[in-house]
Amino acid sequence: MIDLFSPMGAVRALLPEIVLSAWALLVLLVVAWRHRTSADCRLAGWLSAAGVVASAAALVWLWGSGARSTGLDHMITLDWFRFGGAAVILFSAFATILVSIRYLDREGLVAPEYYPLVLLSTVGMLFLAGSADMIVLFLGLEVMSVGVYILAGYDRRNPASAEAALKYFLIGAFASGFLLYGIALAFGATGQTNLQLIGAQLATGPASLMARLGLALLIIGMAFKVAAVPFHMWAPDVYDGSPTPVTGFMATGVKVAAFIALSRVLIVSFPGFDQVWQPIIGALALVTMIAGNLIALAQKNIKRMLAYSSVAHAGYLLVALWPGTRLGAAAVLFYLLAYSLTTLAAFALLGSLGTGGERDVSFDDVAGLSRRRPWTALGLAICMLSLLGFPGTIGFIGKWTILEAVLAEGQYILPVVLVLTSLVSAGYYLPLIMSMYMKPEGERPAWKELVLAQPGAAIVFVTVAAVVVFGILPSGIVDASLRSAATLAQTVMPMAGR
Amino acid sequence: MNGFLESLSYGQWILHALVLMPVIGIPLVLLVPERMSKHVALGITLLTFVVSAGLWWHFDPGAGMQYRSEVAWLPRWGISYAVGLDGISLFMVLLTTLLGPLSVLGSYRYITERERGYYALMLALLAGLIGCFLALDLFVFYVFFEIMLIPMYFIIGIWGGANRLYAAIKFFVYTFFGSLLMLVAIIALVWKVALATGELSFSYDHVLRNAAAAGDLAPWLFAAFALAFAIKVPVFPFHTWLPDAHVEAPTAGSVILASVMLKIGTYGFMRFAVPFFPDVAMGDPVRTIIVVLAVIGILYGALVAMVQPDFKKLVAYSSVSHLGFVMLGIWGGTLASVQGALMMMIAHGLSTGALFFLIGMMYERRHTRELAEYGGLARVMPIFALVLTLVAFASIGLPGLNGFIAEFLVLLGSFGRYPVAVVMATLVVIVAAAYLLSALQKIVYNPLDRPENQGLTDLSLREVLVLLPLVAGIVWMGLAPGPVLRRMEPAARAFVEASARTEAPAGRAVLGQGEVAR
Repeated sequence: MIDLFSPMGAVRALLPEIVLSAWALLVLLVVAWRHRTSADCRLAGWLSAAGVVASAAALVWLWGSGARSTGLDHMITLDWFRFGGAAVILFSAFATILVSIRYLDREGLVAPEYYPLVLLSTVGMLFLAGSADMIVLFLGLEVMSVGVYILAGYDRRNPASAEAALKYFLIGAFASGFLLYGIALAFGATGQTNLQLIGAQLATGPASLMARLGLALLIIGMAFKVAAVPFHMWAPDVYDGSPTPVTGFMATGVKVAAFIALSRVLIVSFPGFDQVWQPIIGALALVTMIAGNLIALAQKNIKRMLAYSSVAHAGYLLVALWPGTRLGAAAVLFYLLAYSLTTLAAFALLGSLGTGGERDVSFDDVAGLSRRRPWTALGLAICMLSLLGFPGTIGFIGKWTILEAVLAEGQYILPVVLVLTSLVSAGYYLPLIMSMYMKPEGERPAWKELVLAQPGAAIVFVTVAAVVVFGILPSGIVDASLRSAATLAQTVMPMAGR
Repeated sequence: MNGFLESLSYGQWILHALVLMPVIGIPLVLLVPERMSKHVALGITLLTFVVSAGLWWHFDPGAGMQYRSEVAWLPRWGISYAVGLDGISLFMVLLTTLLGPLSVLGSYRYITERERGYYALMLALLAGLIGCFLALDLFVFYVFFEIMLIPMYFIIGIWGGANRLYAAIKFFVYTFFGSLLMLVAIIALVWKVALATGELSFSYDHVLRNAAAAGDLAPWLFAAFALAFAIKVPVFPFHTWLPDAHVEAPTAGSVILASVMLKIGTYGFMRFAVPFFPDVAMGDPVRTIIVVLAVIGILYGALVAMVQPDFKKLVAYSSVSHLGFVMLGIWGGTLASVQGALMMMIAHGLSTGALFFLIGMMYERRHTRELAEYGGLARVMPIFALVLTLVAFASIGLPGLNGFIAEFLVLLGSFGRYPVAVVMATLVVIVAAAYLLSALQKIVYNPLDRPENQGLTDLSLREVLVLLPLVAGIVWMGLAPGPVLRRMEPAARAFVEASARTEAPAGRAVLGQGEVAR
């Protein structure tokens, strides 16, 4: 048991975040002296990867110690839902760093400050995923976002990258405004910023207009962050313009943290308001799935296709969020893992197929890839099948968990739209496989001289292997996600729970 | 024979072995040198067939679902890897394992590039098909149902004809569309059952016993299942993927597709869609719709086949016609009609498989499938001509060959319920004779007037070996269908009873107990 009100208790509960923050500052100190050569850059990369491992070790220790808070979760939560989300976030950061080590070299982006930025925005994500209080939630969101804004514009000679950063920054600031206003209204309605206390307070009386407005604004703010339609306009340009490993990081880490936080807010703070938020989430899910998939269908280049596909996957995640039940929360967590593993691998592999941000790698450019680089082609093909939700991959189990959660509630429209839009997605995932395997080598293969260098190849191999292994033997992770969701449900105040 | 099999404790491992052997074969095929891969694949598929052949003797017709085995897979959701075999799946499994080695042997000369990948995909396809016929858990069935799409997609897309990309994606999207809606239906049904009985389980038996819990949702759920299977069969008007896929696929791909994969659809109706929702399936208006579509399929397939200049397309359309007979038989609702449907599934598997092999052999020699390009092959290829004639007769339904038994039983059994449909279907037998005989004439008997055809060589020993088992099966089942009919009879009877159970009293009773337990 951890007393979150005592200083020592807070330190224990925040150990992964503290380790990572301290390590990020350390790396920053190192790069202050060594930032000239690409060897320095690699050193910073390896140091940062070690930092993520240290933080993960702290997380494992905290998770394994079975720590629970005495009474109320104060500022930070101590449940499996946070730990599960944190594990996915740390893996995403780890993979991003390893892939970046050679990528930055190749692209001539010798500026080792990249790595502390990744670490610091990871700290923000961890806070966002673990927040038990609106204040922490907002701080986490901002720390995360500021880091990612800079990363998006990291290729400063590339106008697209600069455009991505500016666009992301402006829209992000706008979204923060919504979120902050939502927090203020929720505070106004209840006098509380603690998520559990807000839930308890709201359960005592009828739903006030102020609370409803606050809820709506909170959802909108988060919808910007997860790129749900119609708040997705920034996403394709930003994903497209950023350096590819950063795109992978944004599409996974940011989304994981935001979805964990959104689930927590809806389930813990507004449990009695499901009449209000279920229609909103359901409608967002519908338009996100439909628009995301249909627009992705029209894309010619792979990076943009993956950007829109990540919008579509936000739609599937919103479907998982819709029930607000234990099964739903478990589905959110499981799908976040499934989606993150697959997306990280897909972007990393894409990063080895072109240069200058890979913005011009079209479907035709990878024609015949399976003969020249069979492993890359196989990896990408597995990723596409997993994103499509095909059996034998983790993506299928993810979709299955979502369908289970929603159909258990007797809701049929969302599942049917989900599978039909998945069918649409076959129209853009399969052509990639088709191009790699079934077409003869083209005139201008973008990938001719490039390779996926170590250590990126190793982490991609591990990730793709996980996609397949967990797709065939998902039992352990399914159990863990259900237990995580159960501990989340325990934090709902008794009088507020359904 | 049985004593020998018992001494191996055959019944305990056979079903797992049938799925695992091709799966284990995949890495073997990929690891050996390129030119060795086909021999390894042949060895594995032959071994699978030999092992599966024991089922013929060991299978006990009266024992219903047997060789049951269960391994926990996802216990939290009540999912386990459950398999079993009854008189319906027995023949489908044997058909699959028989066609496995033949398909490999038939590809020896046709496939000349990327052989390792091809044979690995072939093994994956066989494993998926066998697993699909054995699965007794809805999750497992769905996984196998989907997983076989990928090898087929690649086989068509990589080794197919000129228009292969279009055919591959069309095949994939059509089947995927149906199966996705079935996925929703499976989970929705299981949750309905779970809420009524208090037990979340994807086990086939559990769902079958309590399927009445679907209540008002039953028509929708049936529609989803039926759509998935109807696309697979394919029932008119969902058949348009079939001619494209067949024409573009390499020979062995067409063989597996026509002989086994289409049967997944009719098998699905018999195993899942009808027994789960007998009231819906056998009640109006579904009954009428299906029978009308089946008859349209029978007529349409035959008429379109008649005007095809391409022999492969002709056979593809004739499949639509034959599978229409199977659908009619399933809905015929008598023992004879259901047994006829099952016989038709086997007969079509053997004769169409043989026809596609023969087309492949023609194509390997002349690189065209246009009927007009041939003529007088009987002169230069007598063995080929003999086999083609015999197989075409079987497909037409000539007495003494297996197609006749099947068609006769279907028509006889269905007449009581659907006299008009049966009369119309009977007329088609004439049309079938017309299209196949005229094709036969154009290929084999017209004057040998093209110089290209004069130098053609007759079937090699390998090709004869590919065809011999199929021809033997066709003749043997035509002359002595007794052993086959005897083995499938109890299962067919059980299906007839299950589908006649319109008000499902047993299901309701169990449901009541479940509610008490909850």
